[in-house]
Amino acid sequence: MTKRIVVIAEHFNGRLVPVTFELLACALEIQRFRQVPISVVILGDRVEDLAHEIAGASGLEVIAIQDPDLITYNGEIYKNILGEVLPELSPVCICIAHTGQGWDFAPGLAVRLGAACITGVERLFEEDGRICFTRAIFGGKLVADFRVASDPTIITVQPGSFKKASFEARTLGSVILRTVSYQSRQSRSLGIKRAKEESSAVTEADVVVSAGKGIGRKENLEIIERLAALFPKSAVAGSRSVCDSKWLDRNRQVGLTGASVNPRLYIAAGISGASQHIAGMRSSGFIVAINTDPNAAIFNVSDVCVVEDLTAFIPVFIEACEKSNA
Amino acid sequence: MKILICVKQVPESDAAIKMDDCARWIRPEKSISYKMNRFDEFAVEESVLIKEAFPGTRVDAISVGPARAAMVVKRAIGMGADNGVHVETGDHGYLNPLIVASLIAGYARDRQYNLILTGIMSEDAMHGMVGPMLAELLSLPCATSVIFEKISPETETIRVEREIKGGYRDTLELKCPAVLTIQGGINKPRYPSLSNMLRAKHQKLVTIVASPDDRPGPREEVMRVSYPQKSRSGMVLEGGREEKAARLLKILREKTLI
Ligand SMILES: Cc1cc2nc3c(=O)[nH]c(=O)nc-3n(C[C@H](O)[C@H](O)[C@H](O)COP(=O)(O)OP(=O)(O)OC[C@H]3O[C@@H](n4cnc5c(N)ncnc54)[C@H](O)[C@@H]3O)c2cc1C
Repeated sequence: MTKRIVVIAEHFNGRLVPVTFELLACALEIQRFRQVPISVVILGDRVEDLAHEIAGASGLEVIAIQDPDLITYNGEIYKNILGEVLPELSPVCICIAHTGQGWDFAPGLAVRLGAACITGVERLFEEDGRICFTRAIFGGKLVADFRVASDPTIITVQPGSFKKASFEARTLGSVILRTVSYQSRQSRSLGIKRAKEESSAVTEADVVVSAGKGIGRKENLEIIERLAALFPKSAVAGSRSVCDSKWLDRNRQVGLTGASVNPRLYIAAGISGASQHIAGMRSSGFIVAINTDPNAAIFNVSDVCVVEDLTAFIPVFIEACEKSNA
Repeated sequence: MKILICVKQVPESDAAIKMDDCARWIRPEKSISYKMNRFDEFAVEESVLIKEAFPGTRVDAISVGPARAAMVVKRAIGMGADNGVHVETGDHGYLNPLIVASLIAGYARDRQYNLILTGIMSEDAMHGMVGPMLAELLSLPCATSVIFEKISPETETIRVEREIKGGYRDTLELKCPAVLTIQGGINKPRYPSLSNMLRAKHQKLVTIVASPDDRPGPREEVMRVSYPQKSRSGMVLEGGREEKAARLLKILREKTLI
């Protein structure tokens, strides 16, 4: 049977999400090392139109599997369907998004298929005739290269890591439609809920001063506030850990599951620089990081690195600033 | 009710970690201090909250790892878990998540847990795989990134909300027994109490020495670790504290940012 690279498309609220096209780009890169066809699989209650959209844009074969119970994503149904369909496709590699959906079903699916599983893949390359995958470890302080012993491999791909694929539309692509019915036995989806609409307090500011767990205790937020007060149109924000600890309100969280900001200046104080945090601030105009750890990941995305204890450094900086203004 | 809570020991986030000699993982150094994985603290707290809400509930904490990992099992007891289990593996550096999941599954299989909790991921390896793999190995339903849960003992179900992306939650109901991976922020983890820590100190953990035969062969392996590429200039300010402050001020002035 022909082996293939398989992409599992992701959609939400009736639309394809951008990472789907990044998965296609990832599959094209894999194809440079493993010359086998790419097939796309999309699951949902009504996904024929989305399947045509992918086929039209990519010229690839798209397998649309419709199940009336998949009104929203359900991990159990996904694993049941994919557990049956994928072996028929003899995949060498299965590309899934590293999102709240993909990350939910990929590891379990890997166990079911006897596949290797690598989550949060950011890059891939070939070495000694094998494909290797790079992912962040230790909150982004280091990266690790992984390789696998045998097919198939499931990877979940970090959104934003591959540039949206561009295809010269040579062929029109094709859609294979299948209808199945796998009721979930152990779980029941009850729908998607919008969390309380919280207007973000940090997206409008010119300068964002952001506190991480490195501030040590809640009382030290005062230092962060004093630093922010030096700048007009500034706001205090924080990492998820700081908001999880209830030191700051949730609407001040920057990152993947918080606000995306792009102020002129972003100051990260005591933030390690995990990829989920960086996802929300990497496009800031100028980035200054203050951290005691010279290897902190935040320094890799910073313009200026200050290796200092923030509780000691920030007061000195404030004083220098006030002196020069006097 | 019986709850199993899976905890992992990880280096402190400001630990000066270095690669080992063949750059295969980090060097286990005496100078590194370790702690309980932060996401696991939320999971332990959640299990203790359930225990408080449903009297008669028993919470067992389990950790797979080298001898030093016993410390986080003790900490879980300090936070309110009743018993501790340590699956001892020796200090190999990197432990493959399927191996960890298999070892936990081996322990949990015939012990009738109603609920198994893990953190959403570990802060060091960041795979987020042990929970969902464990569920699959035990043929249990699983929900990841759980930010809210409510148990209905009458129907033996659990309602959960999963955080799927900023602002959206996926709600679902699972049949118990089930596996949940807990996202940070679901609660406020308590500090271990003095009386519990004293109990933890004297309580014997169940220690299981993992033999290589218990483990499936790894399907993927780490080739090497390295420092990530920088995406910006990353100018490091030199000198004393005052000099650095003056330098930073000058740079921000030149860029008219202050
Ligand atoms: C699905 C998912 C979504 C997530 N979404 C987000 C998100 O939207 N936003 C987000 O921020 N995180 C998010 N996270 C969490 C993320 O992975 C990290 O855990 C988090 O960003 C770490 O926060 P931190 O940097 O404040 O804390 P830590 O990682 O604990 O870092 C603290 C830092 O402070 C430094 N430090 C310590 N003391 C001092 C001192 N005195 N002076 C200076 N520096 C000091 C340390 O060296 C360390 O680098 C998410 C995680 C998951 C799994």
